[in-house]
Amino acid sequence: MKSETHDNPPVAKKQRRLIGDRGDHFLSRIQGETGENLSACYQCERCTNGCPVSHYMDIKPHQVIRYVQLGWRKELLSSGTIWICLSCETCTTYCPNEVGVAETINHLRTMAAQSTIEPKEKHLAIFHRTFMEQLERFGRVNEFWLMNAYTLKPGVLREKIKSGLMKEEFFLGLDLLKKGRLHVLPQRSREIAKIKALYRLKKER
Amino acid sequence: MKLSFYPGCSLEGMANDYGRSIEAVFKRLEIELIELEDWSCCGSTAAHSLDEMMSVALPARNLAAAEKIGFDLVSPCAQCFNRLCHSQQMIQKKLFDVPWQVNGDIEVHDMTRFLATADMIKAVKDRVTRPLKGLNIVCYYGCQMVRSPRISGYTDYENPLTMDQLISAVGANAIDWSYKATCCGAGIGIARKDIQGSLTRRIYREAVRSGADAIAVSCPLCQMNLDVIQRNSRKKIVPVFYFTELIRMAFEGYGMPSWFKMHIANPIPLLRTKGLLSG
Repeated sequence: MKSETHDNPPVAKKQRRLIGDRGDHFLSRIQGETGENLSACYQCERCTNGCPVSHYMDIKPHQVIRYVQLGWRKELLSSGTIWICLSCETCTTYCPNEVGVAETINHLRTMAAQSTIEPKEKHLAIFHRTFMEQLERFGRVNEFWLMNAYTLKPGVLREKIKSGLMKEEFFLGLDLLKKGRLHVLPQRSREIAKIKALYRLKKER
Repeated sequence: MKLSFYPGCSLEGMANDYGRSIEAVFKRLEIELIELEDWSCCGSTAAHSLDEMMSVALPARNLAAAEKIGFDLVSPCAQCFNRLCHSQQMIQKKLFDVPWQVNGDIEVHDMTRFLATADMIKAVKDRVTRPLKGLNIVCYYGCQMVRSPRISGYTDYENPLTMDQLISAVGANAIDWSYKATCCGAGIGIARKDIQGSLTRRIYREAVRSGADAIAVSCPLCQMNLDVIQRNSRKKIVPVFYFTELIRMAFEGYGMPSWFKMHIANPIPLLRTKGLLSG
């Protein structure tokens, strides 16, 4: 963003954004990487109307496509939308122009995860990362270990105790243990070395 | 008939009652399920959220194992099915290189559609010893199994009917409703419980309103979510069955209380009033 200055106090008048600054570049990058034709979107809002979580989103699904067309990368990557999206694919299914809205949001999420931009939905990002760590460790994912590892991540436990969720989850976990739903001992995949090698490959990239 | 079988992580933990009912049903149908050699997690939701390469490579490992066996692959979990299909399409289009030997030519089925072909429904009907008369059931498919149609290959994604056909085949009354394929929010259920709760409760409310005694599901996460919101609830209890549990009940003539001890929404009183329980 060219017009950003730091000596102005952050008040009232919203800064005008230049429409189309570097837009073509960002649009063609996303189109190339996802293989979707995002220029076909004519803002009919069917995706937003179908989306089960659009009222929790700060940028609505149809706006996401518009923002990509305009090249507003930073707004997109720092939004809550990309993390809240459930990948339920309602938007993609409903789109009359076959724009892959869910695929685009998913791609933006991977971009945000690899960028230095701090995710707006921190806990969701932490959860996804914990899941991948568990997968690397055992090759399979055990719900008991996943939940415990997630709860022990910095910031999560404090938040949970504060909101009273910890108590609720503890008793739910106890209930599930009694019913034999949780398995304390994790199952492993035998060829775990190959999966670990895959992770190393990913880090080298 | 032989099939290779990819159970997925849930069937080892939270949903091992689903696994047991599948085993029993396929034994009756005389189909041998061969579990994939040393399978690993498909990385659902987390892998494709953080890294697209991983989301293709992780399921591809299981596809490679299935190709070694050579039979069609069947997956009971909707999430796994979706990821396997996605991975296979990416490999077919040669968009990603994976470190395993995969051709991408194996047939991947989800369990409901595999059992809902005309031949299989006939086989199911033949083996019913006691129809589940008087049981009103809504079928809940969830999102990952039917959508997006370009991955799952469903043509009736607006109003899927595979499970309804199976439920009708075992003699129960499948009720039509409008929340068949609405998402239950499982993907963000752990980190954003508020959102998931509101989505799941809406599905539960609609099921009650449409007059259902029970919900039939095919996805371990949907079952879990719909079950847990009924914990300590004073409202109407709507038990959430895996569809294979219902088929098993019809095959074996009656349900055993020990099959359902993992359910939180207790189905025993309902089955007792309908006369479907032994003892």
